[in-house]
Amino acid sequence: MDNEYALKIKSKPRKSLQDRKKIYAILFILPAFIFIFSFMIYPIVYTLFMSFQEFNFVYDDAAKFIGLDNYVKAFNDTNFLVAMKNTFTYGIIYFILIMIVSLSFALILFNTRRFSGLFKTVIFIPIVVPVSLSALVFMWILQPNYGLLNHFLGDILGLTQLTYPWLNHGTTAMAAIIVVSLWATIGFETILFLGGLQSISGEVLEAAEMDGASGWRKIVFIILPNLRETYIITGIWAIIHALKVFVEPMVMTNGGPGNSTLVMYQEIYYTAFVNFDMGYAAAMAYILGIFTLVLSITNFYINRTKDE
Amino acid sequence: MIKLISSKTILYVILVLSSIFFLTPFIYTLFNSFKTDKEIFQVPQSFFPEIFVLDNYRGILEGHFIQYFMNSVIITVVGVVMVAFLSSLAGYAFARLPFRGRDLLMIALLLVITLPLAIFLIPIYLMEFKMDILNSKLGLILPNIAAGLPFAIFIMRAGFVSIPKEMEESAEMDGCGIFQTWWRIMLPMAKNGLIIVVIHAFYTIWGEYTFAKTLATDQDAMPLTVGLTLFKGEAWALGTLASVIVLSMLPPILIFIFFQKHIVEGIAAGSVKG
Repeated sequence: MDNEYALKIKSKPRKSLQDRKKIYAILFILPAFIFIFSFMIYPIVYTLFMSFQEFNFVYDDAAKFIGLDNYVKAFNDTNFLVAMKNTFTYGIIYFILIMIVSLSFALILFNTRRFSGLFKTVIFIPIVVPVSLSALVFMWILQPNYGLLNHFLGDILGLTQLTYPWLNHGTTAMAAIIVVSLWATIGFETILFLGGLQSISGEVLEAAEMDGASGWRKIVFIILPNLRETYIITGIWAIIHALKVFVEPMVMTNGGPGNSTLVMYQEIYYTAFVNFDMGYAAAMAYILGIFTLVLSITNFYINRTKDE
Repeated sequence: MIKLISSKTILYVILVLSSIFFLTPFIYTLFNSFKTDKEIFQVPQSFFPEIFVLDNYRGILEGHFIQYFMNSVIITVVGVVMVAFLSSLAGYAFARLPFRGRDLLMIALLLVITLPLAIFLIPIYLMEFKMDILNSKLGLILPNIAAGLPFAIFIMRAGFVSIPKEMEESAEMDGCGIFQTWWRIMLPMAKNGLIIVVIHAFYTIWGEYTFAKTLATDQDAMPLTVGLTLFKGEAWALGTLASVIVLSMLPPILIFIFFQKHIVEGIAAGSVKG
């Protein structure tokens, strides 16, 4: 009896603290969520709504509901289809290369002691540099007459037959864009892979060595299968990054020559902010968003189901 | 033994060659910023400047560069302060103040991080047109804050979660209010997370291109990331362009060198599923 009474007294002020905490939770969250709501969540809904409408910001006074017409139009629009094809060409090559190269760098850095801090700094630095400025620098390096690459190939190595106007042809322009993207993001993915390697327990590695696994065998049979969780993270990140590529082609090629490096994001940009065809651009943006989500989720399930 | 040494050697050869690939753009730009325009266009050209000149850096004072630079500085400083402040409030609530719909909000944040900015741009543009803040610093500061918040909230939440509950309880016993507990006890202990948030927000906003390209079409309103790309076609300004690129890349690079540990930690932490 006494005990129960004591409990009641004790729990009473605690409950009011709980109540106050609920009110404070709202006060603490609200400022951030006003921003996130008005600039992110509301736009997600608004863009979906707009994608079912015909609305040119310059010519139309009011939006007109047209159902799925914008989506149908997008899949019959040569420009958008080319942009889609280019985005996937870029994305597939970028994805394969960044996964292999970053994982290799992580394995190398994980297995070297001397100077590894210095090499890490060098590989990581491009992460923090504005991509549009890096793209400018690479444009300069690739410039046919006074650019560094042709100077190096022609004047220093004497391989004049290899000098080339890199950004003036579709294939090499696309390759250049991929190289700049890799240059800018390898450090980021390498950090993620290094984190994954560090989380493999020493016991697993020791047991492998006891069984006589070493060198390549250790990497292939022990380390790589143990990185599954890391593949989810690095894979999703690479997919998102590949599909939203925008800055590099925008700065370096403007989508050209012709439209050989035109990507989906650029097509959305031109449709919305040059032609002001907002409804159509909204539908294209949604198609891009759906691709991103579907591929991210697929990557998640591929790497997860193997686990069990 | 010999095999072991030679395989290590191969690894170092790979590392040195890749370092050249990663560093060349920086060094090339730095050297070009000290060359005369004549030397820049000279064929065959030289990698090292034959004569060091500082004219290019003086040239910065002319033209729009100062304006771009000031725009970038103001947008970044205000943006970083706001992201740090708002995320340390919200992160604390997510970590320690239970409320309804918390999980739902977390999922919303994850979704927002996954989706490309393209989905948000059109409504933001129309909204800012109505509010008449297109081509203004405010018009770039606001969406940058919003875009920076989800990641920052994840980091701050993780920081607050890792602080032992006893700290808070003893503060409450001493009669500290919830706001005071947050400000005086918890926030100083989450300092590490806060540093990660500040640095990440700094280099993200400093390098932001997409919002700037769509929301600032007047030259006077552009930050460096967009303004400098206008000069790519104008060959006459290459030396000056190089010197401005050097100055624009310097702040994030310096911060990286001083805070490398925090940046690496932030990237690794941000990737762990919330």
